[in-house]
Amino acid sequence: MSCNAAVTSLLNGQAASGLRAEAGTEVMSYRDALHWTMRDALQRHYSVLIMGQGVDDHKGIFGSTTGLAQEFGADRVMDMPLAEEGMTGVAIGAALNGLYPIQTHIRADFSLLAMNQIINLAAKYKYMFGGRFDVPMLIRMIVGRSWGQGAQHSQSLQSLFAHIPGLRVVMPSSSQSILDTYPAVIDRYRGPVISFEHRLMYDLQFYVAPLSPGQEIDPFGSRLVRPGEEVTIVATSIMVLEAMRAAEHLARVADIQCEVIDLHCVSSPDWDLVMHSVEKTGRLVVADTSWREYGVCAEVCRVVAERNPGCLKAPVVTLGMQPAPCPTAKCLEDLFYPDLRQLVGVLATLVTGNEIHGLPLPDTQSMADVYKRFKGPF
Amino acid sequence: MEYSQQFCELFFQALRIRLVEERIIELYPSDSIQSPVHLSIGQEAVAVGACRDLRETDLVFCTYRSHAYYLAKGGSLAEMFAELYGKVTGCARGKAGSMHLAAPEVGLMGASAVVASTIPHAVGAALAAKRLGNDQVVVGVFGDGATEEGVYHESLNFAVLHRLPVVFLCENNGLAVHSSQKARQGYDLLEHARSYGLSVCHIAEGYDFVKVADTMSDIIQRVRLTREPVFVEIRTYRYKEHVGPGEDFMCGYRQQEEWLAWKRQDPLEQYGDLAETIRPAIMKEIEEAVHFAMSSPFPSVEELLRDVV
Repeated sequence: MSCNAAVTSLLNGQAASGLRAEAGTEVMSYRDALHWTMRDALQRHYSVLIMGQGVDDHKGIFGSTTGLAQEFGADRVMDMPLAEEGMTGVAIGAALNGLYPIQTHIRADFSLLAMNQIINLAAKYKYMFGGRFDVPMLIRMIVGRSWGQGAQHSQSLQSLFAHIPGLRVVMPSSSQSILDTYPAVIDRYRGPVISFEHRLMYDLQFYVAPLSPGQEIDPFGSRLVRPGEEVTIVATSIMVLEAMRAAEHLARVADIQCEVIDLHCVSSPDWDLVMHSVEKTGRLVVADTSWREYGVCAEVCRVVAERNPGCLKAPVVTLGMQPAPCPTAKCLEDLFYPDLRQLVGVLATLVTGNEIHGLPLPDTQSMADVYKRFKGPF
Repeated sequence: MEYSQQFCELFFQALRIRLVEERIIELYPSDSIQSPVHLSIGQEAVAVGACRDLRETDLVFCTYRSHAYYLAKGGSLAEMFAELYGKVTGCARGKAGSMHLAAPEVGLMGASAVVASTIPHAVGAALAAKRLGNDQVVVGVFGDGATEEGVYHESLNFAVLHRLPVVFLCENNGLAVHSSQKARQGYDLLEHARSYGLSVCHIAEGYDFVKVADTMSDIIQRVRLTREPVFVEIRTYRYKEHVGPGEDFMCGYRQQEEWLAWKRQDPLEQYGDLAETIRPAIMKEIEEAVHFAMSSPFPSVEELLRDVV
């Protein structure tokens, strides 16, 4: 954990309570952390190549690659044709012959055009050839949300990829998480990694702490981000922030202590960490950014059910998107995603064992209203 | 009859591949090879011609019909048989079977069983060669059917756009499984490739390994110097069924006369005397490879989850 615990965001310009002492005092946005790691990779590794549609334009993948083509050259920060499958294949071929490609999908939805290369080739190249090849590459996918992103600009497809052996899937939930994960992956890991970045977090400021000299963080670990006794919240991506806000609310109004685990690497979570927590609290809420069916929520339940279902004092509660494509009308979209009020509600019910728990709920209407500082375009 | 040394060397390579595959056909009923085999018989000359002047550091990406390229590029025969037998001494430790042969130590960079899927890998490897400033030539091998896939177009565009040292090598046997090229394509392969700005080359005599080797030699040399992509179409003929050890001329989708006409041009069929002279040495090597495969151990339990990530 150490400095990974620095997920406490500076929502509304205010540092939330519960900030861990070792979380650091420097402030960095999610976007700036991405930009820092991209520049750092180009600077330290001659083999690194950033490739994606629009990586060299004035918007630079929401600011995460801005100016890098000018600084490092168009042959290292390459604008790519609209050809997701072919360009993923090009990245694989480049990786097989000595480069480290970082590919971007400005919406995770577009990666569906590249599924053949990701699943049939990148994921299998090592195993299928008996360990003769490595395919070191990072694929960055951005999950959109709110302001009418709709059915094809908002999907959070982590479970699709985490299902496939051979792929590592991470979901950075803070600036610190990016700083801890990307350089470690690029420096030390020789296989394909898919990272889901959440667009709503790009503008958020987080406290960060640099690594101490010699300190190494497991880029594929899960992180205990808030200790607690009464209920475990296992969360991914931006839902980690929602879990922290819910935990802080319950601590403030009822002295209920929630333990929050950032699953982070959804393809190979630290199940011992999860089980240890659930065995301690006896209560579990899973909050994921995607659909609950056959996804992270279902997977966490599978593992608890297989390992120690008897440790649960109450049925598990899962929160995710409603089982429909994402609608665009705001009134529907607000119903489509779970909100803080809902999360606090299920936690309070679970801990008190009573739906009429009498605890005050936060009046937040939607997460998008809280996280977004602007009205679009998004 | 006198043969040139060049002819003899290529004849040896092509005959070796054919005899290896004929041995596979003999062994197949024993069920020791539990892997779908897509035989190259009839197409050997393309592989040996294309690979003759490639260096070990030059890279080839190919398809599930890759026995010929694996051997022509210099992959170990014993490791290939061991792989077909599912043994841990195989080139992929018994995890590839016939369809995913690889020998990175000699630049055979892997074969995929999904049509067209390695074409962009050749382009990407060429991109790396350009970035790293070496003189590698990369060859992407695919069939006529692969040119119908979107990723083929994406790959041609990118190679031309960034002027990459890659040879697109289309082995045109006129068939995608059982469907004829005419039933599938509304374009002319060469015209189409030319429209992307590629320089193109066509070889009608895909049985003639000397002609293939000499033409490819010029192309490889040109790509090595100019660092520009080239498209090559080589006509060839698949003697066996799409997958499996048998013949399928009785099935009605193609005529046996085509095959007979092709065989009349095929040096391996026409120079029986030369073949008989060379055959014993090759058969000895094959039997040693088969023995190595049969006497090797199967993968242990630990292999199941090894090399996943």
